Amino acid sequence: MKDASIDDLIEGLAGELTPVRPRRILRGSLWVAAGWLAGAGMLLWLYGMRHDLAPGGMPPLSMLAFWLIAATGVAATWSALRMGLPGVGRDYSGWRWAGLAALSLPLAALVVGLGDSHAAMEAMQRGYGPRCLLQGALSGLGVGAALFAWLKAGAPTSPARAGWVIGLAAGASGATIVALHCADDGLIHIALWHGLAMVLSAIAGRLFLTPLLRW
Amino acid sequence: MSIDEPSLARLMAASQRGDRTAYRALLGDCRKWLERYFARRIAPHQIDDLVQETLVSMHRKLATWDSTRAFLPWLAAIARYRWIDALRRQRDEAELGDNDAAVGAEDEAVHARLSIDHLMTLLPPKQAQAITLVKIEGASIAEASRICGQSESLVKVNIHRGLKKLAELIESE
Repeated sequence: MKDASIDDLIEGLAGELTPVRPRRILRGSLWVAAGWLAGAGMLLWLYGMRHDLAPGGMPPLSMLAFWLIAATGVAATWSALRMGLPGVGRDYSGWRWAGLAALSLPLAALVVGLGDSHAAMEAMQRGYGPRCLLQGALSGLGVGAALFAWLKAGAPTSPARAGWVIGLAAGASGATIVALHCADDGLIHIALWHGLAMVLSAIAGRLFLTPLLRW
Repeated sequence: MSIDEPSLARLMAASQRGDRTAYRALLGDCRKWLERYFARRIAPHQIDDLVQETLVSMHRKLATWDSTRAFLPWLAAIARYRWIDALRRQRDEAELGDNDAAVGAEDEAVHARLSIDHLMTLLPPKQAQAITLVKIEGASIAEASRICGQSESLVKVNIHRGLKKLAELIESE
């Protein structure tokens, strides 16, 4: 009886087969790039770009933080794209190393803050900090949507991890976009408000996207 | 016909192009492979359902196989996902006490990577014993309770906790 039902199933599946276009990571990468450009275009159109982006204009610390966050975003994006094409034994852990490297920002901010608590309190209380956080989270939505669409059509075998990684990639992308607008070069401001956008996005990805990624 | 990686990859590539004959042959081979894969992982009466669910998932996710990569790890990833899903359903529905005997299966390279024996070593011994007795060997809760020297409710708790941890372990492999 069971044998017959599996035979019927195989016949049915074969009967409804149509050619499929294999999914390519390159195509997913283009979606993500489009999502980043859409987020950047929107934020910079609404709020403008910082004026010292020309080579040599940006202070070294801000430049370093930008590239550290960008590396985290790229690593998380790459991991998320690979998760859409499953395979036992494939390694999706690149985002963890980049994320660990990015932790150097809050650690350094903590050390700086302990050395000069007055400056730290001042940096934390500046009114535009929460605005940077909100802008970062919203600017990453384009990348988050692109990755979600890619994984929804793909076959992520760990939806919980996929939710975290999409959120982290979206938050890091948003933080890089905010860095093109925000003119505050303080380490504590960048680590706290730009970094918090990454953390909150990752938590939101885990909470809201994971159930939607099950298949 | 033997089930080997190059043949499966060729059939899959043809299936992605819409070749129904190749696809029918591929599904037949995958069915045999999946029956062996699940034989050591779940009670015998659930194998057919799980094979069917996996074939349907494979059909839905046909485009996610990358022809530059091996086929069997792709199939194993989908099978593992469906297996975890079945474990979760068992846990959630508390379907305990099935009385079936499992059959043996050949070991293969991909199977070995997710060997149930290996995974069991990562669980606390009492949870591993309860799962092995009830979920893999098909003993009843009462029999498992006698063999383990635990109360029936403790056997159920150990199975519940063990399956939860097992699902987490498999996802992290």
